[in-house]
Amino acid sequence: MKLLFSCSLLLFITAACLSGSASSRKLRGISSSYKRFYRERRSFLCIDGSRVIPFEQVNDDYCDCEDGSDEPGTSACPRGRFYCTNLGFRPHYIPSSRVNDGICDCCDASDEYNSHARCQNSCWNLGQKERAYVEGQMRTLDEGLQLKQQLIEEGVLLWREKQAQLRELQQVAEDLQIKLEEHRRRKQEAEQNLKALEAGHTRVRRQNSSESTFRLLDSNNDGSLSVEELQEKLVLVQEEELLLSEEEAVALMGGGRQMDLPMFQQSLWDVLNTEERVKIRGSVDAEDPHLKAADTAAEREASSLKKVEEAYDTISMEISDLRTKLAIDYGPDWEFLFLNSQCYKLSVYEYTYTLCPFNQVTQESAAGTEVSLGRWGMWAGTPKNPYSQMVYENGEPCWQGGSRSTTVTLTCGTETALRRVKEPSKCQYIMDFQTPVACQTVLKQRGIHSEL
Amino acid sequence: MATFTERMAPVLVLWLAVFLSGTWAVDKGNFKTCDQSSFCKRQRALKPGESPYRALLETMELTNTRLTLQLINDNNKVRLLLELYRLQGNMTRVKINELKPLKPRYEVPDVLIREPPTEPLSLLSQDENGVVLSLGAESQRVILSARPFRLDIMEGRDVVMSLNSRGLLAFEHLRMRKDTSQADPEAEKKEEAEPETQPEAAKEEEKDEAGMWEETFKSHTDSKPNGPSAVSLDFSLPGVEHVYGIPEHADTLRLKTTENGDPYRLYNLDVFQYELYNPMALYGAVPVMLAHNAQRTTGIFWLNAAETWVDISSNTAGKTVFGKMLDYVQGSSETPQTDVRWISESGIIDVFIMLGPTPKDIFSQYASLTGTQAFPPLAAVGYHQCRWNYNDQEDVAAVDAGFDEHDIPYDYIWLDIEHTDGKRYFTWDPHKFATPKEMLQGLMDKKRKMVAIVDPHIKVDCNYKIHNEIRSRSFYIKNKDGGDYEGWCWPGSAGYPDFTRTDMRDWWASMFAYDQYEGSMENLYTWNDMNEPSVFNGPEVTMHKDAMHGAWEHRDVHNLYGFYVHMATAEGLIQRSGGVERPFVLTRAFFAGSQRYGAVWTGDNAAEWEHLKISIPMCLSLGLVGISFCGADVGGFFKSPNTELLVRWYQTGAYQPFFRAHAHLDTPRREPWLFGPENTALIREAVRQRYTLLPYWYLQFYNAHRTGEPIMRPLWVEYPQDPATFALEDEFLIGRDLLVHPVTEEGARGVTAYLPGKDELWFDVHTFQKHNGAQSLYIPVTMSSIPVFQRGGSIIPRKIRVRRSSSCMTHDPYTLYVALNPQRTAEGELYIDDGHTFNYEKEFIHRRLSFASNLLSSVNLAPDAQFSTRSWIERIVILGASKPSKVILKTDDGQESQVEFDFDASMSVLTVRKPGMNAGADWSLMLQ
Repeated sequence: MKLLFSCSLLLFITAACLSGSASSRKLRGISSSYKRFYRERRSFLCIDGSRVIPFEQVNDDYCDCEDGSDEPGTSACPRGRFYCTNLGFRPHYIPSSRVNDGICDCCDASDEYNSHARCQNSCWNLGQKERAYVEGQMRTLDEGLQLKQQLIEEGVLLWREKQAQLRELQQVAEDLQIKLEEHRRRKQEAEQNLKALEAGHTRVRRQNSSESTFRLLDSNNDGSLSVEELQEKLVLVQEEELLLSEEEAVALMGGGRQMDLPMFQQSLWDVLNTEERVKIRGSVDAEDPHLKAADTAAEREASSLKKVEEAYDTISMEISDLRTKLAIDYGPDWEFLFLNSQCYKLSVYEYTYTLCPFNQVTQESAAGTEVSLGRWGMWAGTPKNPYSQMVYENGEPCWQGGSRSTTVTLTCGTETALRRVKEPSKCQYIMDFQTPVACQTVLKQRGIHSEL
Repeated sequence: MATFTERMAPVLVLWLAVFLSGTWAVDKGNFKTCDQSSFCKRQRALKPGESPYRALLETMELTNTRLTLQLINDNNKVRLLLELYRLQGNMTRVKINELKPLKPRYEVPDVLIREPPTEPLSLLSQDENGVVLSLGAESQRVILSARPFRLDIMEGRDVVMSLNSRGLLAFEHLRMRKDTSQADPEAEKKEEAEPETQPEAAKEEEKDEAGMWEETFKSHTDSKPNGPSAVSLDFSLPGVEHVYGIPEHADTLRLKTTENGDPYRLYNLDVFQYELYNPMALYGAVPVMLAHNAQRTTGIFWLNAAETWVDISSNTAGKTVFGKMLDYVQGSSETPQTDVRWISESGIIDVFIMLGPTPKDIFSQYASLTGTQAFPPLAAVGYHQCRWNYNDQEDVAAVDAGFDEHDIPYDYIWLDIEHTDGKRYFTWDPHKFATPKEMLQGLMDKKRKMVAIVDPHIKVDCNYKIHNEIRSRSFYIKNKDGGDYEGWCWPGSAGYPDFTRTDMRDWWASMFAYDQYEGSMENLYTWNDMNEPSVFNGPEVTMHKDAMHGAWEHRDVHNLYGFYVHMATAEGLIQRSGGVERPFVLTRAFFAGSQRYGAVWTGDNAAEWEHLKISIPMCLSLGLVGISFCGADVGGFFKSPNTELLVRWYQTGAYQPFFRAHAHLDTPRREPWLFGPENTALIREAVRQRYTLLPYWYLQFYNAHRTGEPIMRPLWVEYPQDPATFALEDEFLIGRDLLVHPVTEEGARGVTAYLPGKDELWFDVHTFQKHNGAQSLYIPVTMSSIPVFQRGGSIIPRKIRVRRSSSCMTHDPYTLYVALNPQRTAEGELYIDDGHTFNYEKEFIHRRLSFASNLLSSVNLAPDAQFSTRSWIERIVILGASKPSKVILKTDDGQESQVEFDFDASMSVLTVRKPGMNAGADWSLMLQ
């Protein structure tokens, strides 16, 4: 700050010395560092060395030098530039074409010395604003850098925590793996046991004669099966509690209401042997409690295996998620890590935009439709500062091909927030995202840098 | 910011249904072929050589100003009335209408700038076969033959043009519908008069019945309450092999024969992704054709605003060059001849035959009928930056700043439809453009301007002032049942104001007043798009032909709609300034006479090399028929150009009259600085070349405004006797003195430019290298090359201090480029005015600059005009000069002074340093 101020003061003195002197025309539009080229002599050498011209032709509103150096103070040269001293503010060059074009470009009004434009000297105001702005920026930067330090520390902790979490999860996964194998083995054993018993049972069933089954069903032993007898003895495999309806019983009897043994052997006997949905009430249980126990055991083992498998899958997913997360570049000090799993919103006109760093960007309309504006792609800043820009890609497809994408520019600020969203071209969004972790120590130097 | 579906919801379904064909190109099926247009099909089926029309010589009346005569159709006995006028300026007008039509037939109003003044006709001889009339003092005669009726326009012993020589005159008389009227008086008459031909005639009418009273295309039915009403006439052009004009078509400059396909169609249509090199109708229609050979140029102006088809055939079209040579050697060659046939759906035949004989005579003849190019404000000749859409005020400010940052000049930034509040024209989006005056003031502070779109479709919304006013005044076009016609367009359901009404146009113009058009300021100008009119759900994306404009059907006036929208808008911009300021209005649809109201562009082109190429013939064709202020969207509207194409398009556009970059909503940004510093520099240089030449461009506009001559012109206009120029369309002239051969090939290493004129010299404007005329010159090119040549014998004024905008350059000094011809002479003009008001009619500087005998002088061409300028002459560059010993300037006060100079012997270029005289003064410069 002090440096800028004192330089301006120096310029002020120089300008004051020059004003009113006969050579002011010659010196118009020249910075002090270039003054050595314009010492009053008989001739003037174009700065590119291409030509020597009489000194009267400097700033005489005619372009003699290819490089425009003979007309620093007029609009005569297409490639020329005019130096605005801008006492009190930043000095800078403008193209010669802006000299006397009726538009005030230099805040000291020096570019419009021969035009109808009424330019006010606004350099002190601008300078003050600039200084206030720079001060503000510096404060922000200082604060931001402090916050950043905290966030870095938090980031490191978070990183360690996540690493620990990963290790923990991996341990759990390993344990589960062992358990899984154990359960698989047990399930297999139970199943084998059940299969063996079932095979024996089938053989038993096959050995039962049609006569004995007929007798079993013929409750009143009258040599004929009735609808009521079937309803009493037969059940649906799926729903043992429910009685067969009369219609179902009639249907099993082939439409009649009575059935003798020969008819039974021709029809219902085959049905009972092949139809798996109908069985004789209590037949199996009653016949083989071992089978039933084996069946229950097999079911129990299968279900506990499933539970372990599910647990394992969940853990694996968590590990994979965490690995993906940890594979992302969160900056040299993991300072951007805290942004992961956060989301930031901003409403612009009828839309609400949500940026979930390292995850995705979405746009929600007032009507509630949500559209993806891209998923985390990569860092895309400058080679010098790769962390100044993020790209989110492969969002919702666009009408004429391609898909939506978002470029997020990170700027230094004291809080973390989404500041601006734009769609300069269809389906290409840009966002300004402010966060202390984007604060860079280099910025600090630029703030006090001066031309002189 | 919206997703496509949300933003486009109202029109999405339509767009998808109507326009998206899945492939990249126009969906031809959406537009009619001649076969699908019943009148065209009927008329085209007529066989030549069977004309039923006979002139009834006994009905001839010859007054001082016109000849009238009845024609009879011997098949149906319907009589027509022929009127023949000799017009001042070597033109003949032929009008044919029904003698007693059932109801009046539409005659196009408002296109002619006045009733064309006539000259006396005199009868030279007459017998039972016909009459011979003299056309004024020259040896021109008209021979009117009676049976069949035919007109031959003769010059000496040569036939210049014949009408109905192939017997294709056809006039579908208005008639009662058969099922509604038993007693057809004509049929009765026919029976009485010629009972023997009756069966044949009846058969013919039966055959023709299809499509006469109702016609369906796709899902649209045209109710055709007036039945068939087409008119048609053929013209023969002996000795002619080259015909031009009848824009707008995306086709070659030289029109093709149409025997093997559809005729050229003139029917203003919003064609989505138009295809190149075919005769399909586009956004505008100018029914004017030019015919040219080495001896003579003639023109045909067919004044009819209904759907029109033009057939062209030629007896040499099929022949190869060898075949033609063989004919010549064997001496068996028949005279080459082009035959043209015009077919219109309704109205009358009203045709102006422009007899030249030079191309420039044609331009002045046509200008005397329909007027000349509006003289635009100077800024409009600068560069225009457009995009669908600049999103908000911040965006506009950022783009504006981008031009300054990259030191590229521009004059106008444009806003497309998204700037409005829900596509309600004359309004602003309350969020994105909340403070339009602030924005406009910001531009004004930089001496820049803005164009905002105002389309003619009006959102049907009872909270919208414009709609309510139009509805309450009953200004909307009506549908066939008498209600307000409604169609779909950008806003959804929309009404279409009836611009054919004078009171409607007056009201519309009043809406541009600063207190009516809120947020507007004097640096806001207007763009009329979609004025064909575009109706998304209408037949062929336009209005139903049975919609009603008062007593007339849309069928009758269709091609005039855009013309009237443009007229009313331009009038609005004039009125808001109390008649002081020149308007600038761009239109997409146009008709004959549209040149009087502003600029046109070639519509929604695409970012493809072929589209860049065709911008040349498309604008050349428009220039030939009076519309000089023409341009194509730089970069291409649809799709995204690669960098090379974008740079080449800037380089080409910088040398075309209307220079505007534009891009579709769905394409990535393409402001000039987005393609790396090298390409930014190339584009900057192209735009800067445009700005250095603004004094020359402005002079061309002034001359176009005074004479009707095209600004961008084909070479044959200046070299009418050199057949090598007749079909050139990859190069063109700006005025007389600059020849431009832009690079329009991808990856080009060189171009071959034809430099015309065997006595001419051409100077490369960049290197000052001299080339002889009448040669094809190979020019090696790099990405920075824009081959441009200045004609030896010309003087071109430039302003080489290129600034932010044209207005910033107002007081800048001039550099004169004097290019000497072999006789070591040169001539040019300098025109200066205030650049934006109508005061130019009295207050301007117009000087002739001439160089002869080593003396360059400036002479006042308009001593009565008053204007003073601060501009002076800073430099004079003489190309092809020899080294003088001294250069002496003599100013108007008689003072003589020696002026410094620099001589480049290798290129023979003399540069006179800072002579310093005022650009408006008399002076002379002597080389000794």
